[in-house]
Amino acid sequence: MGFSRKLAFRNYLVEGLLILASLTIILPLLMMIFGSFMTSSEVLRFTLKLPEKWMFSNYTQVFKEGGLGRAFLNGLLITGVSSIVNIITSSAASFILVRRETKWSSMLYLYFFMGLIAPMSMITTIRVLQWMGIYGSITSVILIYSALNTAFSVFLYSGFIKSIPKALDEVAFLEGANMFDVFFRIVTPLIVPVNATVAIMVFMSVWNDITIPLYFLTDSSNWTMPLSVYNFYGKYSRDWNLIFADLVLTSLPVLILYLFAQKYIVSGLTAGAVKG
Amino acid sequence: MNGTPGRIEPPGFILPQAVMEREKMKISKSLYSYYLILPALFIYSLFFVLPAIVGLFYSFTDWRLDREAIHFIGWDNFNRIFTDKTLVLAIKNTFIFAIVTVIGKNVLGIALAIGLNMRLKSKNLLRAIFYSPSILSVLVISIVFTPLLRSEGTINSLFEAVGLHSFSQAWLTNPSIVIWTIAAVSIWQHTGFQMAIYLAGLQSISKEYYEAATIDGAGAWMSFSKITLPLLLPAININLMLTLIGGLKVFSEVFVLTGGGPGNASQVVGTIILRAFGEGSWGLGTAVNTLLFVIVTIISIPLLIFMRRKEVTE
Repeated sequence: MGFSRKLAFRNYLVEGLLILASLTIILPLLMMIFGSFMTSSEVLRFTLKLPEKWMFSNYTQVFKEGGLGRAFLNGLLITGVSSIVNIITSSAASFILVRRETKWSSMLYLYFFMGLIAPMSMITTIRVLQWMGIYGSITSVILIYSALNTAFSVFLYSGFIKSIPKALDEVAFLEGANMFDVFFRIVTPLIVPVNATVAIMVFMSVWNDITIPLYFLTDSSNWTMPLSVYNFYGKYSRDWNLIFADLVLTSLPVLILYLFAQKYIVSGLTAGAVKG
Repeated sequence: MNGTPGRIEPPGFILPQAVMEREKMKISKSLYSYYLILPALFIYSLFFVLPAIVGLFYSFTDWRLDREAIHFIGWDNFNRIFTDKTLVLAIKNTFIFAIVTVIGKNVLGIALAIGLNMRLKSKNLLRAIFYSPSILSVLVISIVFTPLLRSEGTINSLFEAVGLHSFSQAWLTNPSIVIWTIAAVSIWQHTGFQMAIYLAGLQSISKEYYEAATIDGAGAWMSFSKITLPLLLPAININLMLTLIGGLKVFSEVFVLTGGGPGNASQVVGTIILRAFGEGSWGLGTAVNTLLFVIVTIISIPLLIFMRRKEVTE
């Protein structure tokens, strides 16, 4: 009895501390959300208060002046296509890497794995794109993101495909199927949850990124939302209500994705935690 | 042999042993042809590996935006990196940022995960709150923190309101603390991500260990050091790797919060590369990039090998 009461007390104490700590996370975010509805003079106090009058017009204003419609579509195109390219190429590659079990395939796995560690070489990537004549284009950025995310995706897919018994393939092969049949009709249906995890992880990292657009999207009509917001932040540095509205708009797509796809994010993290 | 013997039983007929073995050889070697690897290999090699290799060569040249000719200049770029005050400071700042964030994100991450693995009423809500900043863009968080961190900003007003005048600082304009401030913002944003990985690790530890330990009279610290920490090792490994590599590659936080300033006080390797790119000193910028590549690889590969060995012995 004494022990369980002590335990209950400890739990209350921990819960109280954690709720206090969580305020440090919530308050700055609330300040951004409330601030995005204030007038430009009210917001400058940077305090945590509900807006005196809710200025929904801030949102329509930044949407027009910040060129966000275009940026939203650019971001959608870049994130969408690079996720799809990444899913198809990485899952196919991982399938062979896992199944061949030769010296070459494990060396190739390490070759891909290096991409998780090594930083990308910015300036010479521009050089390579210039040689190909595609520097500054949306296509080039899609290809860069596909390349950058290959390592992580191959890592996730390989872990999962290893758990699919090879006997499934062998039966199919003896029945006369070829590699493509086995991959598309046996393995692909089994890795749908991993596809979702990879799609969401790639989407979030690509959507939020500013580094690649900064180096590689020279034309402002190709910019994604975070870069447009950064540019807007430089130009309208006094109108914090508009800046906050801009930040909220940029964050909405990932927040919505997070709310609907939480379980796939968790399974991606678990793969990392359990396999190391 | 590669396949698992005795598992293939095609219905209707039985193959002689020798034929079976030969079939399996063919299955593992030729049926999985390398064709399916080619698209990924092509994209990854062309847009990630090739630039790195090209960079190795350009690091030893005076490649500039405004000049046609490119000359080989030996180690000159690297000599400059290690003698130029700003560049040395940038390397030092990168290491400070990496070490501070590795410690902060992992210590706080484990603490939060242990707390939120207990039977608390609000644990699901709290988990979501702590995780939420890490799904947002670094750009968003950095801009939100800019007004909070000003000398006359919200954080200092809070300190003054509770009488802690000595705590208020010029967070982003004092050259000697600015890199620590940026590291703190990064810890604030990303600890939730580390927490989530630690939580997944904690949930894979069976409750029975703790029950047995309690019966044997082990205290909280004993349980933590003898059960939790060792069994959490895979999660600790992956988190140390992720935070260390991410810390050395830091760019966006510094770029948005200070742009490397005041003066050059908060420059890191990532922002130096952008500055060299902007100035047109592409050979130098590439050399800095190559140096980062070497540093990250030298640090991570022994860690990776160590991790693999640990895993095998477990």
